[in-house]
Amino acid sequence: MKLWKIFRFEFTYLVQRITTWLYGAVLLLFTLVMNLLISPGDGIYANNTFHITAITVIGGLIWLVIGAAIAGEAAARDVKMRMHPLTFTTPVTKRDYLGGRFLAAFAVNAILILSLPLGVLLSFYVPGLDGEALLPFRPWAYLSVYFLIALPNTFIATALQFGLAALSRQVMASYLASLLLALVAQVFAVATAKLFGNWDLVKLVDPVGVAGIIGSDLATWTASEKNTRLVTLDGLFLWNRVLWLSVAIGTLVLTYVRFKLATVVTDSWWSRFIWRTNVQDKTAAEPAVAKATGIRVPSVQRTFGVATYLRQTLRIAWISFTKLARHPVGLTGVGAIALVSAIFGYRIMTQFDIPMLPVTRQVLAYLTPPVGNLSTPWGIIPLMIIYFMGELVWQERDAGFSDLADAAPVPEWVFLTGKFLGLGLILIAWLVLMMAGGIAMQLGLDYDGLEIGLYLQTLFGLQLIDYLLFALLALVVHVVVNQKQIGHLVMLLVFSLMAFPSLFRVEHRLLIFGADPGWWYSDMRGFGPTLGPWLWFKVYWIAWTLLLAVGAGLLWARGREQRLKERLKVAQRRFSRSTAWITLLALGLILSLGSFIFYNTNVLNEYQSSADLAERKAEYERRYGQYRNTPQPQLKAIKLHVDIYPERQHVKIRAAYTLVNTSTLPIDSIHVGSVSGIAFSEVTFNRPAAAVRIDNELIHHIYALKQPLRPGDSLQLNFIVHYQQHGFGNSSTNTLVVKNGTYFTNYDLMPAIGYQPYRELTDAVIRKTYKLAARPVIPSLYDREARKKPASTDQATFEAIVSTVKGEVAVAPGVLLRTWTAGDRRYVHFKTDTSIGGEYAILSGKYRVQEKEWNGVSIRMYYHPDHALNIDRMLQSVKASMAYYTEQFGPYPYRHFTVIERAGNGGGASADASIIYYGEQYSLMNPDDGPDGFDLPYYILAHEVAHQWWGLSRLTPANVEGGGVLIEGLAVYSGMQVLEKAYGERHLRRYLTYLHSSYELPRSLASASLLQANEDFLYYRKGGLALYALSKYLGKEEVNGALGSLLQKHHSGALPLPTTLDLYQEIQQVTPDSLNYLLNDLFKKNMYWRLKTEKLAVAQTKAGQWQVTMNVQAQKVLIDSIGTEHEMPMNDWLEVGLYEKGADKPLYLQMHCIQSGKQTINVTVPRKPDRGGIDPNFLMIDLRLDDNMVQLEEE
Amino acid sequence: MELQIRNVSKTYTKGRGGEVQALKNVTLTIPNGMYGLLGPNGAGKSTLMRILATLQEPDEGSVHLGNIDVVNQPEQVRQTLGYLPQEFGVYPKARAEELLDHFAILKGFSQRKSRREVVGALLQKVNLWDVRHQKLGGYSGGMRQRFGVAVALLGNPKLLIVDEPTAGLDPAERVRFLNLLSELGENSVVILSTHIVEDVSELCTRMAIINKGEILHEAEPLEAMNALHGRIWQKVIAKNELAQLEREHTIISTKLLGGRTVVHVYSEETPAMFDPVQPDLEDVYFSVMADHMMAGRVADSQGGQQNDQQANEA
Repeated sequence: MKLWKIFRFEFTYLVQRITTWLYGAVLLLFTLVMNLLISPGDGIYANNTFHITAITVIGGLIWLVIGAAIAGEAAARDVKMRMHPLTFTTPVTKRDYLGGRFLAAFAVNAILILSLPLGVLLSFYVPGLDGEALLPFRPWAYLSVYFLIALPNTFIATALQFGLAALSRQVMASYLASLLLALVAQVFAVATAKLFGNWDLVKLVDPVGVAGIIGSDLATWTASEKNTRLVTLDGLFLWNRVLWLSVAIGTLVLTYVRFKLATVVTDSWWSRFIWRTNVQDKTAAEPAVAKATGIRVPSVQRTFGVATYLRQTLRIAWISFTKLARHPVGLTGVGAIALVSAIFGYRIMTQFDIPMLPVTRQVLAYLTPPVGNLSTPWGIIPLMIIYFMGELVWQERDAGFSDLADAAPVPEWVFLTGKFLGLGLILIAWLVLMMAGGIAMQLGLDYDGLEIGLYLQTLFGLQLIDYLLFALLALVVHVVVNQKQIGHLVMLLVFSLMAFPSLFRVEHRLLIFGADPGWWYSDMRGFGPTLGPWLWFKVYWIAWTLLLAVGAGLLWARGREQRLKERLKVAQRRFSRSTAWITLLALGLILSLGSFIFYNTNVLNEYQSSADLAERKAEYERRYGQYRNTPQPQLKAIKLHVDIYPERQHVKIRAAYTLVNTSTLPIDSIHVGSVSGIAFSEVTFNRPAAAVRIDNELIHHIYALKQPLRPGDSLQLNFIVHYQQHGFGNSSTNTLVVKNGTYFTNYDLMPAIGYQPYRELTDAVIRKTYKLAARPVIPSLYDREARKKPASTDQATFEAIVSTVKGEVAVAPGVLLRTWTAGDRRYVHFKTDTSIGGEYAILSGKYRVQEKEWNGVSIRMYYHPDHALNIDRMLQSVKASMAYYTEQFGPYPYRHFTVIERAGNGGGASADASIIYYGEQYSLMNPDDGPDGFDLPYYILAHEVAHQWWGLSRLTPANVEGGGVLIEGLAVYSGMQVLEKAYGERHLRRYLTYLHSSYELPRSLASASLLQANEDFLYYRKGGLALYALSKYLGKEEVNGALGSLLQKHHSGALPLPTTLDLYQEIQQVTPDSLNYLLNDLFKKNMYWRLKTEKLAVAQTKAGQWQVTMNVQAQKVLIDSIGTEHEMPMNDWLEVGLYEKGADKPLYLQMHCIQSGKQTINVTVPRKPDRGGIDPNFLMIDLRLDDNMVQLEEE
Repeated sequence: MELQIRNVSKTYTKGRGGEVQALKNVTLTIPNGMYGLLGPNGAGKSTLMRILATLQEPDEGSVHLGNIDVVNQPEQVRQTLGYLPQEFGVYPKARAEELLDHFAILKGFSQRKSRREVVGALLQKVNLWDVRHQKLGGYSGGMRQRFGVAVALLGNPKLLIVDEPTAGLDPAERVRFLNLLSELGENSVVILSTHIVEDVSELCTRMAIINKGEILHEAEPLEAMNALHGRIWQKVIAKNELAQLEREHTIISTKLLGGRTVVHVYSEETPAMFDPVQPDLEDVYFSVMADHMMAGRVADSQGGQQNDQQANEA
């Protein structure tokens, strides 16, 4: 058997290589390190199946690089080593040759990847790591992961790598296959899923499983599932395996057919992949006569100096660039992404699925993700940089003329710089393509406000620097490692360190290569103060790369002395005086800039790692947790004098708090603490008090009152807050006070009264590590003590005099009493009619203002002059909402209402009492408000206006489970009605689909009931859907009446605080007994319906009517907290609807009582229906909506 | 200008702890003109050539070109160095003119106009002018070799190193090639390493024979041949007589010719039944090699061959 012999030879060859073992070691090490770094969640054992699966899949990404080296070698080593004339001429068939080589590569790879599950297994039993409880050893957990995921992946990847390398006859081509699998397929899968809104596509398309398995199914596992559940070969995962195995086999067949055991002379390696008639190769015939030439070569004076070296550098740069530009993916890769972006611009330029004005800033946000961000298509760029840098460093050696080039009078630094510049040129070419894609995207969307300057600045100023830094690192690594495959591997590890520094517990950006505090750009703020710190960091990193480049120049492999020992020897000689100067310069820069940055991040500003932060929170609880239930006076009035100096990033606040003892006991001490760590000073009381504890570390001060504050008594507290941004910090540059974009809230700067439970650590596992008593994230609904506490006890009126620079307008909640100018400052005086709770914000910017009146309420709209697109729409929404809510739930409590654009790139809006803030991105949303469109911005504002009734200073639920339903669920429900009233049912239906669509995202079906809701998903989505369903079953008036009644019975901040139990009770009042089950199912249970119409048939009666028969199937399942399904008997009222062709209005819509299982529904209607089924309006929680109705089958 | 090689040694560490001494204490003085370095495969020629071409460093010893310390001042050497390696590749997709232009820039021709002239003249000189627009991937072995010569000749090097240049050339190519070289030998040091004796005898004014890293003999070819005058004898024998003859005489070469074996022996006296031969350089080479083998170790040539084969397989 020749095949067997070839296999054995190849296998032995690969196994005997040290690198193969090194690869295995890397994979093993990966699993160990990951086990050290990852801590399982609460209630999850260390050796849970989720960990085993996830690490194997992610380790598979690293293996893709390794596997490419193995498969590429097996496929194309003979050609690379120029041994193929020997091997190809032996009497070996193509089948034996390719078969043996492929099987050997596959076998080695299969063994290598075995080290992943094996390493995971070992990592649980490494001595010194024990101490954690482990589940018993379950071999099947490892085997199933290996045989279902790892091994098929290995086969698929090896086949592609092998095929590509064999056909191109280039070992390195196998890396393209890896790139294709790791990134292109991944990004493609996620992109298609996003484009078509179908997440199942990811499961089907992703070959590696990072998105398709980990990001998809696994993300939905509950704690108990994570412990024990296994990935099973069914559903889309099965089809995924079938699909990719067929691709792999197809590739192998193609390889077999197209591969030639012959020396191929052709210009393009691409031609080997495509069918083409052979072109005669032309070689010039030579006269066989020998004669002396006698031609004199002119003697030219050559000079060797900087000018010549520069010329050489440019030449090497150019030849490097052309090499990369001609590479099959050199320009096409980025070009294709740019093209696809331009074509699908209408899907990319959206916010919450609503089209947005493609302003340049928006397009640039898409084009410039951080270098380490792999989740956008542009994540391909750093990977291509790594790959191409390897190609460039090895260019001469791969072409076989390194001896010629190395013997030329070219200094090492010229090679180094030339190649770096060559890659720089290709980067510029890529950025040009990206810019073209971005502009095409804008023009394609009929937007012509191109800001070319901003494009150039962002792409070629900011983004290019980042890519260049990364490219230089890749260059240095490839030069120093001096082994292409290992260079790639090292670079990938470095890259993952850059991309996920927190995973490796590195947080300070002085330690993360190329990092910076981040920059942003917004229409209002421009780049703000972000460019300075960015530049300091970049110069610091450039100094580092200079040092690295010196190292690379010294270690540059030249001639035949390629071993590190020999190169180190040569490096000593190369270390000239100028090298020493450059090294000194670089070191000096690193030290001085590093110290300067450190001074800024750690001295001028407080540097806190996440561990420091957690420790701080834990310490807060340890020191002051004892005061959790100490009675404290309530904040009743806030008076502020605020002076904003945007240019200097400075604000000074003089504050007076009026505190009232609303408890029944005298209060003898006042706790004043700052959440954000901003200090306050000059604290005075209007009655004798002494500081008993001044904690400047956690900023929590305790003052003892000489005379206790008796119930009902009040006191005044005065203090000053100085906030001045000094220098810059480690993470994102602070944005509280910025030119044309000041926005800060009370949480950002102002102290609060009493112990603040939300300053505690909430994560159960972290609490355990800090030895804090276990506590639920949100107190239980049935915790009677907790039910007495709202999220915030403050019920304060607010008054502020705010001054800012002349060009800007300052804004705060309340009615605008007065504006005046004094000197170069502009003053405003705001005052609220009544209590606004405790949350507020103060803003300053160059706003345009519109003032309108509605029923005695003055509505003031502040916006960036260029963002006027939605102002009318917003005003309409505010007015319509005010009118509707007043009518349905009760009056609006203030005579003032403010809507203001908040500088920064947020897309949503938020509300405080009597004021709504919306992000700059919101103002760019450009919805279709025609009958088929969906005016989301209109809805969003209606939702925020609804919070003036639900939450804030009106309905103040207890801070227990379900509290969010009373705030967000009711606001969603209310906003929907305003949307429906303004735009009709179609817009509402789009919104309902939007609410339902998040059920389709990968998410766990096991969740709490609405009564005990504990996450946003339940608050917003399920809350909204459940209330909407009830309004359809019970009638809108009844439900709204119940809500109005709930609101009337509870005064803000007064006990008993409302909970979901009160809401339930109110709705139950208006629910007939026959529908009690539904209220129960929606609010008390985690119930899902599976409703399906299988067949719709019609027959005309003699009277000309239509007899309709529907075969439907129904099922109701309860999913418990660990994700187990329990089928529940059904006897449910469900809508049954029939519709005519092209009509929205139902031909027939009635409630029918539906039992579990299959059944037939008979209905007679006057006209012929076109479609119909059960629950046509999607009132139930059903994961599949598309099968509720069917089309009439035409006979 | 004179090239002085003093006590140069170089040892390679092979895998699994073994060591191979490629050069042992080599000392040579090479004046202007063509200098032949003759030796069998694996004798250390290429190592020496690469050391001279600044691509390797000796473990010990020094090399000086005039005043330039080749080992420690590689930059200066490279400015006046022409090197044609034994094996080299090209960018198959590049055209000859482009790639030569590229090398011209690397060699320091920074002026565009004069560079074009030099490149053009060199292409004509190596007879590639007509095919200068063709891609190098389509070149024959000889054309590619001549392209290499053009690269080596860029900048009128004072030190030209050509490593086994004629291997694989057809006779016409070889003549053309040697002509090119001899033109250059007038005011440069040209070192030609080869295992083909004729290359040396036709071109070189001085030569050295190297084997297993040692210089065995250094001489002028003519002198060397003269020195052997009357000491080389030839006999045509049957194959089975060879063993007998080997015991009695110092055989320097055997050649099979039409089923018979032509044996050359070295003898200072006239051996019986032998014919005198006018010694050529090949006889010089073989007698030096034979002498060395006798002196160095007593081993039969067959054993040596087996070793070679093993080496090849490894």
